[in-house]
Amino acid sequence: MEIFWLVILGLTMGIIFGIALEKSRVMEPGVLIGQFLFKDYTMLKMFLAATATGLVALSGLTALGLAELHPKSFVVGNIIVGGTILGVGIAIAGACPGTVFAQIGRGYKDAWLTVIGGIMGAAFYGYNKSLIDGVLDMGSFGKITYADLFPSLPFWMLGLITAAALVVVMIALEMYRPWKVDRGMDQNKEASVNSNAAHA
Amino acid sequence: MDLLRQNVWSPYLAGIIIGLLQIPAFLLVDTALGASSSFVTGTGFIFSLFDSSITEIKYFAKYMSKDKYFWQSALVIGIALGALISYKASGRKASFSSPSWKTIGASSAPVIRLLQGFIGGFVLLVGARIAGGCTSGHGISGLAQLGVGSSVAVAAMFAGGIVAANLLYKRAS
Repeated sequence: MEIFWLVILGLTMGIIFGIALEKSRVMEPGVLIGQFLFKDYTMLKMFLAATATGLVALSGLTALGLAELHPKSFVVGNIIVGGTILGVGIAIAGACPGTVFAQIGRGYKDAWLTVIGGIMGAAFYGYNKSLIDGVLDMGSFGKITYADLFPSLPFWMLGLITAAALVVVMIALEMYRPWKVDRGMDQNKEASVNSNAAHA
Repeated sequence: MDLLRQNVWSPYLAGIIIGLLQIPAFLLVDTALGASSSFVTGTGFIFSLFDSSITEIKYFAKYMSKDKYFWQSALVIGIALGALISYKASGRKASFSSPSWKTIGASSAPVIRLLQGFIGGFVLLVGARIAGGCTSGHGISGLAQLGVGSSVAVAAMFAGGIVAANLLYKRAS
């Protein structure tokens, strides 16, 4: 596809992504960090639903031979250390590398500084990549998937089984804590708090 | 249109919509949803204004040349546009920082919010680039492909986030 159409496609998909992030409130720092404090389960629920849907979609696409998977390499040191640092970063910033853009769209001015910090962070890693990767080097398992560990099951079957298991987890989670309990209470309050604040 | 005016959607509906976005990503771009690579693309082009030799660094050159990274950069700009459309449609007002910081006992003083944003953003991208992906790439996309590395990355992410959040914030609102 030509770059022009890739950019149009990216923008269109991004708009849908951004609307979903804003409507589900997952891009709010209090919601994201609230999950880490186990006082708000919105993030986990959205995350499980997105993963289960992706599993079903990719099971279908690969079974029909329409798409190839692109799993990421399991570089042991990088994954464990990088993942932990990323989690700490989410807790400090109240955002992920994707949701920070939804915060910008939402009109939060401080999110611009998060993006600038992120650009500096990406530069720090890019300029020091060989040094950092060298320190963290603990070997790699390559682009391994759980479907590789169960060679008797095709990806689509393991994918659908996993998706079904995630649905069970979501049902249990919803029975334990209905999503409206996390949301319902703060929406109107938030609107009135906002009306006192400066806006663009 | 009515759906767009709503204040809030169920996290399940939002998750299903985001999960379905994998279909055009794999079919049309031959890649998975992700976000943090776009920071390397952005960094490459911004830093090339001051450091013309940056394109000689293989890591930056890769993210400044492949089509799928331009698609992803457009995706994150689209995320901002989508959130803008969504909050305007629901009648919320803009503010300097999120009012939700209050619910976890964090200060809303602008200086603190800016400083914390900058530090947080830096840590976020150092971590994501070391791990080779973020909450989208390793999380939503990696798990949807049953990636072993991604499942470990997600576990590490939650571990780091839970420990840091409990040290930094109050549980009671």
